[in-house]
Amino acid sequence: MPDEIALKVSNLDVHYKDFQALWNVFLEAQKGEIVSVIGANGAGKSTLLNTIAGLLAPTQGAIECLGEKIDGLPPYKIVPIGITLVPEGRRIFPRLTVYENLIMGSYTPRTRSSRNEALKKIYQLFPVLKDRHNQMGDTLSGGEQQMLAIGRALMSNPKLILCDEISLGLAPVVIKSIYGRLRQINQEGITIVLVEQDIKRSLKVANRAYIMLEGKMVLEGEPSSISEEQVRKAYFGI
Amino acid sequence: MVKYKWPILGVLFVGFATVPVWGSEYVLLFCLLYCLYLAMSQMWNLLAGYTSLLSLGQQAFIGFSGYAVAVLTNYYGVYIWLSVLIGGFFSVLLALFMSLFIFRMRGIYFAIGTWIFAEMLLLWFSNWKYVKYGTGLFIKPPHPPSMTTIYYASLIMGAGATAAIYIILRSKIGLGLMAMRDDEDVSEAMGVEIFRSKLFCFMVGSFITGLTAGVLYVFQIFIQPYKAFAIDWTVILVFIVIIGGIGTIEGPIVGTFIYVLLSQWLAEYAHISLLLLGIIAITIILLAPTGIMGTLHQKTGFAILSPRRL
Repeated sequence: MPDEIALKVSNLDVHYKDFQALWNVFLEAQKGEIVSVIGANGAGKSTLLNTIAGLLAPTQGAIECLGEKIDGLPPYKIVPIGITLVPEGRRIFPRLTVYENLIMGSYTPRTRSSRNEALKKIYQLFPVLKDRHNQMGDTLSGGEQQMLAIGRALMSNPKLILCDEISLGLAPVVIKSIYGRLRQINQEGITIVLVEQDIKRSLKVANRAYIMLEGKMVLEGEPSSISEEQVRKAYFGI
Repeated sequence: MVKYKWPILGVLFVGFATVPVWGSEYVLLFCLLYCLYLAMSQMWNLLAGYTSLLSLGQQAFIGFSGYAVAVLTNYYGVYIWLSVLIGGFFSVLLALFMSLFIFRMRGIYFAIGTWIFAEMLLLWFSNWKYVKYGTGLFIKPPHPPSMTTIYYASLIMGAGATAAIYIILRSKIGLGLMAMRDDEDVSEAMGVEIFRSKLFCFMVGSFITGLTAGVLYVFQIFIQPYKAFAIDWTVILVFIVIIGGIGTIEGPIVGTFIYVLLSQWLAEYAHISLLLLGIIAITIILLAPTGIMGTLHQKTGFAILSPRRL
């Protein structure tokens, strides 16, 4: 069981028009793992997640999820396979209610049937969302919005969630609580790929970590094996 | 308020449906124009307010469908209401053809693309002998429908367009459309098929706009390219939707009432009417940036035709 591969990215190249953003990127996540990808601004972390989620098409390479080849597929085919994205900056739907935001997470036909169970689970995980289910998305605080964004991603009963900078702009207490929930989600067997600026925190929860630099993977290993010097080198080049 | 939603709407509808009985000729004319503009502005609202398809080319559908009605009744003797229906389908065909080109564009480029199509149609029709160049055509059915019949046709369009947008927004894809309005990229990540949803709305919008234009030209009995394909149409629709409240169903209902009322009143000051219209629009946008119904909804939560789910 622990050796099953949830996500395997190999030789991935991604271009924005003429600009190459990712060079020969690889990534692997075992089932039930938390994998952390760290790196400076512009290293290509978000590009990597957006490509896995199907928002960008790779120019080369392969992405495999739970044995299915998903590179080049559009999101509406990827979501039912069991991958969802928690986008950077929360990006909840401001003029939809909390409930409608959550329902949007199970928009694709195949995820619709399990909607009510998923909703129950999410309300248990984040009771504040239940209290505010009738409020507009933009009336929530930053932390609540982040919970909503995570809840929305969980609505499709995913096997793998991609979290892009979930601590961005949040108070330390809130970050701590959200990371607590993330562990809880992970304990239910959901694989998590975490992209973070908050290196310390993300290395603490991760089973394995990758470091990206200028669109390339430069290091892979267990968090304990990654030294501060290696991290500094990746961020500042010194 | 929401509790009494259906009774209020029912009374409104019965009121409109019985205008030929109780209303004067002027009231009937007013309600007829109201219904036609309501149908067209609801469709612009569906495009610009929900799917971010900022069309500046609604006049392409209006003129094309209007000409279809004129040609079919004049040259082929087609029954008048059948030709209106065919005009609606012509409008959809035009939309399909246009979508091959303009769906590659986004935002402001899409807007200009649609406008250019309308201008091209204007040039084509004003240089086409078959439709008598710029002189235009009279729509002369052998048995001209009565004013009451035309009024009911326009009532069907106004009420039908509002019902259509309500049903679409309450349907499975409706939530996706509202999510697209809020954040297109994220709605795509959630599994919304952006292209299909947009194309669907563009088709619905062109069909209902075309049908409505058909009824309008049955009423006006004269069509001329410089009027039919003029950008003025879209300017009016934008005015209605913006002051009423874009992205709300109630917005066009209120906005159309204000516009038709103003246009009647401003007819006495024809030389400065556009200036006054502009001042009114700017004032409302400054005081209530989300339109009258949008602002009312934010302040009081008022919504009578809300597509909300609970």
